[in-house]
Amino acid sequence: MTTADDIFDQSGNNIQQLGLREIPFTESPTDLQSETLQYIFTGRENELRQVFNLFQSRERRRVLVYGRLGIGKSAFLLEVLSVLRRKRKDMLTTYISLPANLDLPTTALIALARAMPDDEWAQRQLYQMGIPTDKVQKERSAEISGSLGIGGKLGEKDLPITKPLYPTVSLDTLLDRAQKKYPQGVVIAIDDLDKQNPSVVRQLMHDAQGMLKGRAWFMLTGHPMGITGDLLTSERGLFDLQLKLEELDFPTTYQMLINYLNSTRINNDCNDPSDPRSVLPFLPETAQRFCKASFGKPRLFNRLGNTILSTAADLQVPLITSEVLFQGLRAATPKLLQKAALDLQEERVRMFLQQRGSLSDETITIEDLEQLGFRSFSDILPILERLEQADLAHQLNQDDAKVFAPLPLPPATDEPLPEA
Amino acid sequence: MGKKGFGQSVASTRKEKNFMRSFIKYAIKAKGNETQIQDFLKSNKAKLNESLLDALPLVFKTFLTGDFCDEREEVAQFFLIFGYTIRQFPLGDRMLNIELAIAAYKLALEIYIREAFPQDWAATQNNLGAAYCERLRGERAENLEKAIATYELALQVRTRKAFPQDWAMSQNNLGAAYNYRLRGERAENLEKAITTYELAIQVYTREAFPQDWAMSQNNLGNAYRDRLRGERAENIEKATAAFELALQVYTREAFPQGWAATKQNLGAAYYNRLRGERAENLEKATAAFELALQVYTREACPQDWASTKSNLAEVLMAVALITDNPDQLNIAVTFLQSALEIASPGSPYFIDAQYCLGNALSRRYENNHNPSDLQKALQAYKIALDAISPEHYDRKQIWQALPSTQSILGSRLVRDGQWQEGLQLLLNSVNQLSTSDNPLAHANALFLTGRAHETLSDWDNARLYYRDALRLYKHLQNQPGIAKSHTGLGGVLVSQGHLEKGISELAKAQESYHQLEQPEKAAEVESLRLAAQKVMESQMIEAYV
Repeated sequence: MTTADDIFDQSGNNIQQLGLREIPFTESPTDLQSETLQYIFTGRENELRQVFNLFQSRERRRVLVYGRLGIGKSAFLLEVLSVLRRKRKDMLTTYISLPANLDLPTTALIALARAMPDDEWAQRQLYQMGIPTDKVQKERSAEISGSLGIGGKLGEKDLPITKPLYPTVSLDTLLDRAQKKYPQGVVIAIDDLDKQNPSVVRQLMHDAQGMLKGRAWFMLTGHPMGITGDLLTSERGLFDLQLKLEELDFPTTYQMLINYLNSTRINNDCNDPSDPRSVLPFLPETAQRFCKASFGKPRLFNRLGNTILSTAADLQVPLITSEVLFQGLRAATPKLLQKAALDLQEERVRMFLQQRGSLSDETITIEDLEQLGFRSFSDILPILERLEQADLAHQLNQDDAKVFAPLPLPPATDEPLPEA
Repeated sequence: MGKKGFGQSVASTRKEKNFMRSFIKYAIKAKGNETQIQDFLKSNKAKLNESLLDALPLVFKTFLTGDFCDEREEVAQFFLIFGYTIRQFPLGDRMLNIELAIAAYKLALEIYIREAFPQDWAATQNNLGAAYCERLRGERAENLEKAIATYELALQVRTRKAFPQDWAMSQNNLGAAYNYRLRGERAENLEKAITTYELAIQVYTREAFPQDWAMSQNNLGNAYRDRLRGERAENIEKATAAFELALQVYTREAFPQGWAATKQNLGAAYYNRLRGERAENLEKATAAFELALQVYTREACPQDWASTKSNLAEVLMAVALITDNPDQLNIAVTFLQSALEIASPGSPYFIDAQYCLGNALSRRYENNHNPSDLQKALQAYKIALDAISPEHYDRKQIWQALPSTQSILGSRLVRDGQWQEGLQLLLNSVNQLSTSDNPLAHANALFLTGRAHETLSDWDNARLYYRDALRLYKHLQNQPGIAKSHTGLGGVLVSQGHLEKGISELAKAQESYHQLEQPEKAAEVESLRLAAQKVMESQMIEAYV
């Protein structure tokens, strides 16, 4: 009888049969160790150069990294920070994903306080906000015991949890303390502004102007509709550098696949793109087709890569042939759909998009919109963006219109693989 | 004297008892003369208060057990008279007066039971129905249902055969309740109203009952004016004819109140009239309302004065549309504001006047561009919406006015630099209008949102909203909307460097303005188009070089 342990071992063996220790793809770059990220991060040389040029000055700068969903903004941010950590020992770098319902100064305060575990004042700030710290802060208070009226004992009671009343002032105080310890400055990276409601982001940015002009380096991320598009020129002028991340080109994507596979391959460290061994267990042909199917979008690349390798492992094959790739891509849509958990209206728009091949704010007709139960494209735009976020659609690179198309993945039924 | 229990003490109702005692004495002395009884109420206006309303059941009970009246039914009769008089009383707090009438009728019904006093029971039910019809407290829809139910009870006794005159009266009243009814299908309710009025007129002939005939003609006129079935123009003609008939009996000298009420209705009919010259109809409407105001003075009939002023304001707004005279709008705003000083909050007049004030202020804003007018308009719409019950027929209309005002105000705020608040208002309005059945207001809001984004140099969103507006304007075949959307879209595309597409949009805009015979706007667009053309040509030369 097969035990759970056996199944676990079998599962590991199936991956090893592909020549890999584990599946290297992950859609969340924050899960990666700095060393792994360094290994797999590919391309973006121009963008990195622009950011690092800024760091050659003592002047504090504000950088906005923006681009479409899943384009690799977080990975870029983390890569910049990891380089800075290696190169600038006297610089403190912090990273935080913007929590819901929190203003930017408090978010920055939390990020900074977390990066200063030995600073008692910083830890006290965290504790007061109800954020777990390594050392539990207790207030000591004297309490006379019992009815005998003799002796005494020291009691402890929990401090009340309060949000900072003046987060900008608290942040400033903490920055002051940090700068004494880190003379090369402090970098605060706030990620995922695009995951918040655009009007909230507008308000957050508006309220945080004082903080952003303050004494730390700031790096923020957002996607065009969520942040830069809605900001006034004056607010956009807050940033010394606005960096747009675009889709990776094919050679970079191909190199990225090599790097990912190399980070986990057993007994093979070939990374020469002209050598077919560099993409094993893919064949050069299937590696190319996979790269094309991911449209140079790192998150889609990771999601599809994960499905393809899992399918290959399930099939217990050593190589990803055309047939295995087809099976893997075919498994992707149901997985993406399951993960997206679309509501009825979103599914209706998805089906419509699938049927039409593309939807654009320039060419859509009022009849199309009415068929979907709407009167304006701006009403369905959030749904299309949601589909894009779930990798069930993608936005085409057209500057003068918003155009969405379905991903050319094979349907779950037996149909030929469309050209990517 | 010690208190009994925890209820209202006997001592505390002494004043109310004395008042009611005096009322009864006066009513006996006046021998049913309504004017004299009303005079009594006029000189005791201060005593018509909430304490009296609270004390009424206790006073009734005391009178029943005491020796003030010989018979129990006498007490009931005087309460019936009190209810009737106070409901007609034009002064004091209207809301409270009606509550007092309802309380008095209900107490009378404790004695006037159907089995023992069928006629009095039916008469009291009829009067109770009338009071429910006018009630300002509680939910209006529910009050009207109660009115219909009580009239129908009255009609069980008041049959045409046995009591033709009373039957006609209750039919007339039932018609009024159906006319106002908020539940059920509005068109059907109005048909019922017309049928019942016509039944009443079969008994209320001009020869036999001229006054009642005039009343039912007036009511029939109202129902035809509001009628949803049949041809609207024809219905309004019928309404006007009915009012004119009523006025043959309702002369100013003989029946000043009836005359004023019918004049007011006639004014409304002329305001809504579709046949004849609009300006002339509005003139007739103004004249009719002004005549009504000769009787409906602020002092003598404050509520009617307020509603007539509101109506007059609406006519003035319509006149202002034709004459382009800002003074008329200013007067309309003043009339509405003074009417609102009197109107009971929550009453239909109050809601209508607030809505109308919102319209007047937004219209005035279109002329003077004073943002405070727009703010006040928004506030008026909001007050109207808050006061309105969900079953009110006009709610939809106000719901549409609110987002439209929000979009105008939002766009104004964006231009004035309050872009956060402005954009939020715009997006709210677009959101609310997207599900409304007013696509033109939706298109306008989309256009204004596009323009706000353009002001914020947010080209992508500006382009998106202009395209949405253009699509909807085209669907609605709204030429001015099409022209301005092409202009906006062209401008944005040029700003983004998409010169070819931008120039093409501007050319379309130019053509639209020519079609609309707006040469100045066409010239404005042309200069923009030529500038873009020049840039494109120089770019082509650079590329060639």
